[in-house]
Formats: sequence, structure tokens, C-alpha cells
Amino acid sequence: MLLFRDEEHVDRWCAARDLARGATITPDQAWRLAEGWYKNKLRPDWRRHTLEETETLLSSIGLTSAFWNLRG
Amino acid sequence: MTEDTKDLDTLARDVRIHVFREAAATGQVPQAPDISRALGRSEADVRAALHELAAAKALILAPNDGNIWSANPFCAVPSGFRVAAAGKQYWGICIWDALGIAAAVGSDAIITAPCGDCGVGMTLEVRDGHLVRTEGVVHFAVRAHHWWDNIGFT
Repeated sequence: MLLFRDEEHVDRWCAARDLARGATITPDQAWRLAEGWYKNKLRPDWRRHTLEETETLLSSIGLTSAFWNLRG
Repeated sequence: MTEDTKDLDTLARDVRIHVFREAAATGQVPQAPDISRALGRSEADVRAALHELAAAKALILAPNDGNIWSANPFCAVPSGFRVAAAGKQYWGICIWDALGIAAAVGSDAIITAPCGDCGVGMTLEVRDGHLVRTEGVVHFAVRAHHWWDNIGFT
């Protein structure tokens, strides 16, 4: 996951690599995703999120399109 | 579950706790020889535990030498995604992990990263649990279902 100056830079980066465009989110969405994903990582009782927990996290920040579907 | 399996599971937990505490406390991700010395276990046992942790997606091993590449969100080697937090310097393997470092250490943080296209540096800032300085957009090239197919590319 890379940070770009704007959508035009994303398009240019994808075109230069002949890659299909993925999805862009705002840095604030990325922060909320990172916070939900990693805030417990240092805890001794840390465990990986379940599929359902990850789906809840993604949808809580508005990531609900097919691109964010974890089930294929 | 055999005694050997239970022992490996217990060691993997100890290794995980040690690795992440050290990474957060120092900004340096310890490798197998360091972990072996710290926990008083053989390096072979520690490497087996690291492979178990990688299989559980608790961390990522480098493909060539089996060293920890990222005790994600803490990258073991310098990268373009720098995080200054709690008086220390950290690196993430991507912008998600760079932000994740601020979340994991629970600290205010300044994150600097280059534009993936043109390389111009950008700065994000986390303060009191909020992103208070922001610029740019974050691009995910890989659909969520395929993130772990090739985590290095993702």
C-alpha cells in the first residue's frame, strides 16, 4: 500500500507498470484501518482478526465495495 | 497435541511477545540469534517458532534467509516509510504499517513517505489518536481477498 500525491499520480504509477488500478482510500481511512488492525499487536494475548472481525473493520470505515470482499 | 507441539506453541508465544516488545521499545526488530540469547533457547528452536508465527501471519519472514522481514507493523530493515514516535525511529513496509506503528505503540507520531509515483516526500501526523496532518491518497493495488497471496507485492 503506497501513498501518492493524488489520483493522477496513482494512474501514472499503474500505467507505467501495466497494472489495473486498485482502490484508493483517504489517509484518514488508512489510519482508522491501521488503528483497528494493529492497536492490540503488542498485547501478549494478541490473536489474528477473524474474517468476520476484519469485515466489520473494513465496513466501519466505508470499505464495502467488491474490492474489499475477503471471501473471493 | 504432542508435548513437542505444545512446547513449540509456547515458545512461539514467547518469541512473539519478545519480538514485538523489543521492536516497540527500541525500533529494532530482533533476529533469531538475538531472540535465542534473550530467551535461552537454541537458535534452531527459535527459527522453528518464527516459521510457526509466519504461518499464522503474525510476522513475515524474508524469502532468502528466513530472517524476520517485518514483525508487522515493524519493518526490520530501513524503508521509505519512516515513523518518528515516542522518541524513536521506526520503519513500516507500507503506509498502512507505518500508520500501524503509531497505533501499536499508542503514541503521537510523524510519518514520512514518498509518493509512490514521483517520490516527493509527504508527511502525516498522528496526535492524541487522530490523524491531524494529512496529504495524498492511499492506493491498494491488490484486492483484499488476495492480500496474502504475495504479501511483499501487496
